[in-house]
Amino acid sequence: MTIWEKMQKVDRRILYAILVVLVCGGLFFPSTIKTDPDPSSKSFYEAFMSLPKGSTVIVQTDWTNSTRGESMGHFENLMRLMMSGDHKFVFYSAADPAAPQVARTVIARIIAERKEQGFREYKVGEDYIDLGFFPNAEATNTSMGVNLRAAWAKRMSKMPTGEEGKMKEVDIWQTPVLQKINKIEDVDMMVVVTASASIDIAIQRLANKVDITALVTGVTGPTVLPFYQSGQVKGIGIGLKGVYDIEYLMANGINDVKDEKGLAVVTWNKAGSVPKVQDGTTFARGRSYYGTLHVALALLILAVVMGNVAMFAARRRKGDQV
Amino acid sequence: MNLTYDALKITAGVVAMLALYSILYRENKFYRLFEHIFLGLAAGYTIVATWKDTLYPQWWEKMFGRVATADNPVPEPGYWLFAALLPIGLLAYMVFSKKHNWMSKIPIGVILGLWSGQQVQIWWNTWGPQLYSSMQPVIPTTFSSLSVPSTVEVVNGQIQPLAQPALGTVQQQISNNLYLTQALTNFIFVITFVSAFSYFIFSFELKGKFLHGVNKFGRWMLMIGFGAIFGSTVMARFALVIDRMSYIVNEWVQVLFRGV
Repeated sequence: MTIWEKMQKVDRRILYAILVVLVCGGLFFPSTIKTDPDPSSKSFYEAFMSLPKGSTVIVQTDWTNSTRGESMGHFENLMRLMMSGDHKFVFYSAADPAAPQVARTVIARIIAERKEQGFREYKVGEDYIDLGFFPNAEATNTSMGVNLRAAWAKRMSKMPTGEEGKMKEVDIWQTPVLQKINKIEDVDMMVVVTASASIDIAIQRLANKVDITALVTGVTGPTVLPFYQSGQVKGIGIGLKGVYDIEYLMANGINDVKDEKGLAVVTWNKAGSVPKVQDGTTFARGRSYYGTLHVALALLILAVVMGNVAMFAARRRKGDQV
Repeated sequence: MNLTYDALKITAGVVAMLALYSILYRENKFYRLFEHIFLGLAAGYTIVATWKDTLYPQWWEKMFGRVATADNPVPEPGYWLFAALLPIGLLAYMVFSKKHNWMSKIPIGVILGLWSGQQVQIWWNTWGPQLYSSMQPVIPTTFSSLSVPSTVEVVNGQIQPLAQPALGTVQQQISNNLYLTQALTNFIFVITFVSAFSYFIFSFELKGKFLHGVNKFGRWMLMIGFGAIFGSTVMARFALVIDRMSYIVNEWVQVLFRGV
């Protein structure tokens, strides 16, 4: 067996092992890679940063651990932006029963992170509401569009009593979070963090009533882009690149932070100056994973090229017609 | 070594993860065990979440009402009509009866009826704005500049927005005109859109070199699109692997050995 034939018959488990070693190695060296964020990511950032301080945002979180690699980074970024802007938010899932618990874990971690950094601690019932799970996204989004109060009727939320560590259960409509909200049009923005077609369902039923933005996985992203092109979605972060884009924008803003040559790090002629995030963490999971993704992609490309070269070489050697 | 509850929890996650990834080596009982645990947990979690978050507040409480408590001093009456939903829903399980399986079509019919009723508006909400945004102008209205004029300038080596009133004038020019590069971009979009669309014309036979050419170009455009989607999917899958490795390298090792 020639070297070319051997190369074509490399056990796939060896490739898996190399991938694991390279990926683990890459995680030890997170690096900030200079990038030009996608226009859809810039639109998302601009739309979110233009919300007035203290706005009310609906977050439909339809991802679980199966897409943690992308969606968790998206959700962490969203929570950091939310808390940095002092916005109030309501979150729920209309796709997966496990999704609210995954979101709760991330929210608790970001709250703890910001508390450790000396910022105000977000409190359930006062700053955000956990609505849990709604089965059937079609019915949920339709009823939210028709009558938000009826769609969310009977939902309870924990709320601090005022005594240290004590909570009480109240109707969500009695909380400060929903004080000014009566219908979906009163909400300043809806963000759908999803790994599925639940974004399509939200757009179909609610895009003409509230501004929708999305943070989606790389698999879902291409199907959502036409909605961005047509203006039905105001901005999208797509996949791991989207996670890193948003982190990059949080650190540099748009037409805001200048490099050593005095040029803006992120330029965009469709927006004026959008400021960077002024407090808390900016670069996090996206930065850690984005460089590693390049390593993994390099391995993939190398394997494809070597496999093809070996195939052609082996055929030529045998005298086959290539 | 730090053996706290958190450490044990994350360690259990790592064991489950390695078990599920062991299928990459070969089929084994370790993988099957954790696959069944995962499916059982997911099914159990779904039942509890559906009851707790939906059926209890939106059906049970509406049916039985709510007694006054310290937090909610106003009692609410129950509406027994909600009880009628249970037998209608349970009819779906008649699908398992050979004699009475026709009854399962009743709840399915209700769901299909509700779904169909929404479709006209949904169709327009989905495609209306996309049809509108696809109508792109392709003839430039000005040749004063090949591309869109800049709204920024370099002052003392720094990029700054143009000062007023120059900024207003340029913005007015941009909104009133279609520049050559914009027209070219729109032309590429329209050609791609029309040719890809033409690929799905099956109502009549496409005859002639021109129509065949458009059709073939559309097929190429579709292939390029599918390639981009596939590339995006590959990156998504890599992101999953990277996150799982990060779970071991960054979360498990740190909790176990550093107690972070």
